[in-house]
Amino acid sequence: MKESITKKIFNALNERFQLDNLISFLKHKSVPKYRNTIWYYFGGISLLLFIVQVTTGILLIMYYKGSEDLAYESIKFINTKVSFGWLIRSIHSWSANLMILAIFIHMFSVYFLKAFRKPRELTWYTGVILLFLSMGFGFSGYLLPWDELAFFATKVGTDIAGQLPLVGDFLLKLLRGGEDVTGATLSRFFGLHVALLPGIFVVFLTMHLIVIQRQGMSEPEEWKNKKESEKETIPFFPNFAVHDLLIWLIVINILAILATFFPWELGPKADAFASAPVGIKPEWYFLFMFQTLKYIPAKVWFIEGELLGIFTFGLAGLLWVLVPFWDSKTPKGKKNKIINYVGIFVISFIIIFTIIGYLLD
Amino acid sequence: MYKYFISLIISLLIINFSSAKTKKNFIPNASQQTVNECLTCHFDNEDGNGEPAHLFKKDIHFNKGITCAGCHGGDPTKDDMDEAMDKNKGYIGVPSKAERYKVCIKCHSDSKKMKSFGSNIPTDQFEKLKGSIHFTKSINASTPIADCITCHSVHNIASVKDPRSTVYPTKIPKLCKSCHSNASFMKQYNPSLSIDQYEKYRTSVHGKQNAKGDINVAECASCHGNHDILSVKNSKSPVYPSNVPQLCSTCHSDKNLMDKYKLPHDQYENYKNSVHGNALFVKQDLSAPACNDCHGNHGAVPPGLESITNVCGTCHAFNAELFAKSPHKKAFDKLNYPECITCHSNHKILHATDQLLGVGKDSKCIQCHKNNTNDKGYLIAGEMKSLFDSLKIADSVSTELLKDASLKGMDISEAEYSIKQIKQILIQARTITHLADIKEFKDKLDEGFVITNKTKQAALDAIDEYYFRRYGLGIATIIITFLVIVLYLKTKKFEKKK
Repeated sequence: MKESITKKIFNALNERFQLDNLISFLKHKSVPKYRNTIWYYFGGISLLLFIVQVTTGILLIMYYKGSEDLAYESIKFINTKVSFGWLIRSIHSWSANLMILAIFIHMFSVYFLKAFRKPRELTWYTGVILLFLSMGFGFSGYLLPWDELAFFATKVGTDIAGQLPLVGDFLLKLLRGGEDVTGATLSRFFGLHVALLPGIFVVFLTMHLIVIQRQGMSEPEEWKNKKESEKETIPFFPNFAVHDLLIWLIVINILAILATFFPWELGPKADAFASAPVGIKPEWYFLFMFQTLKYIPAKVWFIEGELLGIFTFGLAGLLWVLVPFWDSKTPKGKKNKIINYVGIFVISFIIIFTIIGYLLD
Repeated sequence: MYKYFISLIISLLIINFSSAKTKKNFIPNASQQTVNECLTCHFDNEDGNGEPAHLFKKDIHFNKGITCAGCHGGDPTKDDMDEAMDKNKGYIGVPSKAERYKVCIKCHSDSKKMKSFGSNIPTDQFEKLKGSIHFTKSINASTPIADCITCHSVHNIASVKDPRSTVYPTKIPKLCKSCHSNASFMKQYNPSLSIDQYEKYRTSVHGKQNAKGDINVAECASCHGNHDILSVKNSKSPVYPSNVPQLCSTCHSDKNLMDKYKLPHDQYENYKNSVHGNALFVKQDLSAPACNDCHGNHGAVPPGLESITNVCGTCHAFNAELFAKSPHKKAFDKLNYPECITCHSNHKILHATDQLLGVGKDSKCIQCHKNNTNDKGYLIAGEMKSLFDSLKIADSVSTELLKDASLKGMDISEAEYSIKQIKQILIQARTITHLADIKEFKDKLDEGFVITNKTKQAALDAIDEYYFRRYGLGIATIIITFLVIVLYLKTKKFEKKK
């Protein structure tokens, strides 16, 4: 009986790269099947959106010009003259936001499922760092179209960084490339967005994926005392991978719908001498922090209100990153309700202050 | 009886007091001015009529009984020179140039004193003079440029109504000229001010009539004021650009006065409602023409037939230039038509609408051109209007399509920028109508048609692109949905296998 062409190609590759080992690994890898399995897909969705970002970003670089004089015009050119330029730019912008949303959901699902517990501390640390890096991508990418809103939002954002004691002034100049937001800031942000951040991101993403593959999928806490035969799982390949693919297709479709029906806008060109437009807001994922800083009084006891806010968020962020370190009960198999309460508080805080930021100001 | 006696005594007392009071304030008139020993010497010692004492006998002040001491101080009742000119009796001699006005205002700013001389002339002259450009501008910062004596002279002062007065209307132009036509004098105060006002004035209708002795026509003071003369740059000055029409209307809207000269009196009313009046009064555009911008100010004359285009052309230069090249110029000259005015009127110039062109009922062309196959002008007017309207329609079609594309969220900023040029092209085409050349007119409108065609295409492309995106999305969604279904069925198959 003659071998099919596919089989022949597979055999040739298998002979050279030992694909059998990989297939065997994938066949043995399984994903727990229970009521919370749905949350396991958000890591994959985040990865897909990152791939979309890289692909559309590379396409945009072909036409984007990262200088004060040409940035805005090049985006306009991409939007109006380049074939499907409008689609690529809109998908890049929408995908950036959906990626951060997916990472947030992924992070909170990991948090509530206590998947950060030993031995997956490193997965958690690298994951949270990836979220911070994604927010850095968002912040640096927001300025690149060099439109009015981006210009002033960056001004406000970097001003907040400048409030830090001792390092504030240095940090402000480092970010802006001078005293003010200028073409130098744009060049820096462009460099950060397309070179520095992607480099660092890939390192942490690789670490994140390697440790996941090495340690496998986290099982629910209640399975700790279950026998292997009692655990219901689905094979990662092909079952979970096909599910993943199915969801990816739906996400791509959602992206296409958003890009077509709500193409990403481009405001008037940035003008350093113009007065700041009313109601400047940062991107939604920074809004809860921005809004909170507004409500803190100018002076609390002897500390500057804004500084107190920055320190509080810094400390809260650090505690959040270090949750595997201070949650001693969960690894011992005990229930830690405080973890859940903290998580609910954080989610509620973010949602409420984001809504207030959009509705009230 | 006793009561009647008391009443008589009181009445006599009142009469006695009243009489005493009258005597105290009584100021003698010329016939009563018997005691003025100054004149006894000064009159005899003078050579002739031009000398002060001789002049003073004809002065209005002399007639009112005011002696030399009224201004110079001293005691005019004494025939001894030392006694008469005793400084202890207030003798000041000839008042200094810086302070001589003070001698005049002693009485002229005191209404009670003026009334006592039987004069009703206002007593605010000095207050007005103080704020005038003549009083404030001084090179030595202490002497006024012009004071009372500069204009009213001294010793032979006469009432303004007296033809002998230096400020009698027919004498004012020459009086003002004495300084304002003196280049070296004027240079000290305002080097940029021209010194030919008098020469121009004498060429004007006002100036000619004034020279004939007509005191009803405007002279310098009629427009600039007298004691309170302000700089033309001062918004309170009657000759400030936005005040000029009202100033001219004081005489030119006076029916009785204008009837004497057989002139119309509706110019101001017409001007007020004109496009120029609207610009000047409503928009406060000081560059808009007031009366003097067309008629001249000092040399004011009605523009002649030949000069109308030049007058209008001062601002509407391009229109004037085109009209001069047009076949209408020759025809209008032949028919003695007053060029611009023929179509646009003069004082009541309304906003020139597009209806003025063509052969419609509001058209100006049909005033001369008739619906006749031999009348080429009629055909061209009709064609020009038709082309003009076509561009306007093409513009509105493109604009509507662009609006539609914009509402659909498409970026058509480049086309939106281009379509704005149509407005400019229409303005230019309106100007070219003055050339009355169909080829030039068509060439200009063709520039517009190129733009409207391009922008219309851009709008249609954008609308097509909008639908392409939606159809594309629809097809992509169908394919993705199909793949999703296939994958879903595949997973079901895997689960079954398991």
